[in-house]
Amino acid sequence: MHDLLEAFRLVAAPDVLVAILASAIYGLVVGSLPGLSATMATALLVPVTFWLSPIAAIATIITASAMAIFSGDIPGCLLRIPGTPASAAYTDEAYAMTRKGQAEMALGAGLWFSAIGGIVGTLSLVLMAPLLAEMALSFSTYEYFWLAFLGLMCATLVARSSPIKAIASMLLGLLISCIGMENPAGTPRFTFGLTDLLGGIEPIPALVGVFAVSEVMRAMVTAEPPKLPKRKFGSILANQWMLTKKYQWPMWRGNIIGIIIGVLPGAGADMAAWVSYAMSKRFSKEPEKFGTGHPEGLVEAGASNNASLASGWVPSLLFGIPGDTITAIAIGVLYMKGLNPGPTLFTERASSMYALYIIFIIANIIMIPLGIMMIRAASVILRAPRAGVMPVIILLCAVGSYATGNNLFAVVLVGLFGMLGFVMEKNGYPVAALVLGIVMGSMVEQSFITSLIKSDGDVMPFFERPVSAVLAALTFSALLWPVGVWIWNRIRHPRLPAGGATG
Amino acid sequence: MMTLPRRTLLGSAAGLIAAPALAQPKWPNRPVQMLCPWAAGGGTDAVARILAVLLEKDLGQPFNVVNRTGGSGVVGHTAIAQAAADGYTIGTITSEICMLHWQGLTELTYRNYTPLGLMNSDAPGIQVNASAPYQDVKSLADAIKASAPGKLKASGTGQGGIWHLALAGWLNAMGLKADHVRWVPTNGAAPAMQDLVAGGLDFTTCSVPEARAMLDAGRARSLAVMAPARIGAFPNIPTLKEAMGVDYAVGAIRVVAAPAGLPADLVAAIAPALKRAYDTKEYQDFMNSRGFGLVYGDAAGAEKALAAADLSLGNAMKAAGLAKA
Amino acid sequence: MQLSDRVTGAVLIALGGAAAIFGARLPAVPGQDVGPAAFPMLIGGGLALCGGLIAFGIGHSFEVPEEGDDPAPPGSLHLGPLHLGRLRPLIPTALLFFYVLAVERLGFLPTAAVVVLLAAIALGARLRLAIPLAIIAPLCVHLAFYKLLRVPLPAGILPAPW
Repeated sequence: MHDLLEAFRLVAAPDVLVAILASAIYGLVVGSLPGLSATMATALLVPVTFWLSPIAAIATIITASAMAIFSGDIPGCLLRIPGTPASAAYTDEAYAMTRKGQAEMALGAGLWFSAIGGIVGTLSLVLMAPLLAEMALSFSTYEYFWLAFLGLMCATLVARSSPIKAIASMLLGLLISCIGMENPAGTPRFTFGLTDLLGGIEPIPALVGVFAVSEVMRAMVTAEPPKLPKRKFGSILANQWMLTKKYQWPMWRGNIIGIIIGVLPGAGADMAAWVSYAMSKRFSKEPEKFGTGHPEGLVEAGASNNASLASGWVPSLLFGIPGDTITAIAIGVLYMKGLNPGPTLFTERASSMYALYIIFIIANIIMIPLGIMMIRAASVILRAPRAGVMPVIILLCAVGSYATGNNLFAVVLVGLFGMLGFVMEKNGYPVAALVLGIVMGSMVEQSFITSLIKSDGDVMPFFERPVSAVLAALTFSALLWPVGVWIWNRIRHPRLPAGGATG
Repeated sequence: MMTLPRRTLLGSAAGLIAAPALAQPKWPNRPVQMLCPWAAGGGTDAVARILAVLLEKDLGQPFNVVNRTGGSGVVGHTAIAQAAADGYTIGTITSEICMLHWQGLTELTYRNYTPLGLMNSDAPGIQVNASAPYQDVKSLADAIKASAPGKLKASGTGQGGIWHLALAGWLNAMGLKADHVRWVPTNGAAPAMQDLVAGGLDFTTCSVPEARAMLDAGRARSLAVMAPARIGAFPNIPTLKEAMGVDYAVGAIRVVAAPAGLPADLVAAIAPALKRAYDTKEYQDFMNSRGFGLVYGDAAGAEKALAAADLSLGNAMKAAGLAKA
Repeated sequence: MQLSDRVTGAVLIALGGAAAIFGARLPAVPGQDVGPAAFPMLIGGGLALCGGLIAFGIGHSFEVPEEGDDPAPPGSLHLGPLHLGRLRPLIPTALLFFYVLAVERLGFLPTAAVVVLLAAIALGARLRLAIPLAIIAPLCVHLAFYKLLRVPLPAGILPAPW
């Protein structure tokens, strides 16, 4: 109790409060710029933290990263430029809502359920950190392999097209992830002698290309859509309350999945969002509405995304294992400020730990008013003429992708991926599945190859360890379930007249 | 005849522009770009950023850290080597510059740079799971010698990475073949430490600061460091020489460098500034808090460290069959 | 750009086959049994298989036709002076490539202005909108990225006023 009061005193210091507010606004602005990720927002803050008190330093990192992750949804929803690989899972859904004139509802859902996910995730951090950390530590490469495999299977679920084309898109993404020498063998592959390809294809230029540039390409060949009627939008929060009541169960499922995936280092928010969106569709009462601008998936994936962000701090704080790039930076700051990660942080420096929790909660609460202001400001874009918005998008694609590594090659990639995305979409290949393949590729290969190396080529350890056995069983049941349903339907209902399209 | 006056005109104009620069020989009189070949958020980036802050405070001009990533470090290292040697583009080069050319991935070697200061060197440790039977490095070494080739598994970074070479060098120093212990490539030290604790590996050879949190948590134990002397932040870990009499040391070094051919007067201006930054309390505190090894070398010392690293890493790569030709 | 499933399937078969063949040629790594070839061969094989299935029209019945994306009926599209016919979708990529080639020499502001101007005109904007946009947008982007985020955008022939 004494520690808790001390923690409140620490957080209530004026410099900490100013740091929270300033980094919140900073995070919101940087996150909403296409191409600039939450990681970059956090990395740029590190020199600033040299001059701050320990608690204020951690507060800037926590607040800025939480805000940047949420505001990464804004360009995704309004312009179809996902800010992070995590928001790529539901960018199409959110953009479909924008096209139906429900941009505020989509962004509001992102905001509200992000905040809820963040708070629930924090509570999991408070209540179950040691338990969750134990779970994370029992994961070896065998378990990661099954996890990655399950993640890849989401490709077929999130797409509104033929499952075979979805799998083909995902495999294409995996093939793209083979480029470069960042593979277990350290051997350059498919680099065609280009130095720029040695490091492989980064997800951000690929994302920006297949979503944003291909959208500009579509604008080049389609007529300007009719103007949305100008109307007064209702309260953003009132809508969200309705959604919360309607989709309570998906929201909780998203929170729980987010917490579990977030705790695993290397899995993180990207995978949480994908898995949750896929789960949401799988278990929805109205799966046919997914992809047409239906908020249910946004609720679940939005909550999951931010819950994983908070629980991702568990392995970082207990064992110094970064859950993702943001916590990797945060660990550096923790060390710098003498708050060395480890179990002693929870016992000897308990007041600092509580202060950290309080900052998490505050950050997720002030996210709501600040986020609403941001949404209202950003939605002005929707009333601007298309010929005025699209050119700026091209410019932002170029500058944003350049900023990821200050390398012009990224801009070339954006252009090439734009064409690829455009052709794929025209022919019914889902680009989201391609992105999933690119994002997950290195984890799949890494866990698969290193597992084989460790077992000297034996596949038994993939099934022998208790957790891997459970995950393997889950994977196979998920694989065989649709086949079973399909056969069952074939037996029950003799073949319906096939769609004329097959010819 | 027309060209002559024009040239004099241009010449005098250039002289006018150059005049203030000559009158004020002090470097720097405009912002300096500090290239970092690795991504924002990593260890090299953190060191570069604190150096930039300290240099800016000392010299009164902005030092902008620019992450030029890509190509496993090749892109950024190339950018430093190809910049103008005017003292306004400097950068942090890392041990990889002494490795990539052996693999045939770039033509660049450390000779393409003017080293200005060795700012940090991290030595690899030998870490085992806390529940492993090995209490000291000697018992681990005996177990390695007794095992069939490829039976034991170690990790710490990717295939051919610096900690892989540390293992190969250590095995060589013990008179074993470089692949006597099977290397499990991972995506950096953190996943390797995680897998060590999850029971998937026998030991890791990543740097001690990278293993630190797991050591503090009592999940892993560091048996020895491959350094000439014990590390300041970890005084309890013996060196290899102390623990088993094998004299083998290696390290991941970070050197601030400029492109080759930097004029001597600029070297004389920049190198002392780096020394002053190194000596500040902020830098020492920062490096100690992160557990980064505090090792300094002036311009000549940095060059010597790079040459030594080039030789020893090259030998380790040849022994491990990783070098091309 | 609408191609038949036979064409895209064949492209995937070719791509997957090439990946598997070139992947198989990758040299083994000393000291490892499982080399860099395994994963590309697996993926390439899978891709070729999917390509085959697609070419034979399996799974087609699941597809939902894309809505709201029909080519514009003639006359409804404000083409502006840049017609280019079937090559129109290539304009954004062409502009990005122009940016890559020109930005180091011309500097960020002029290059960005050209990109924005051409894109706006291609989308049928009047000059009254396109020209102010081409002046203001690069300045705002430069301010945000260069000044606030310290992204080193090249100055070129026209350095920014800050």
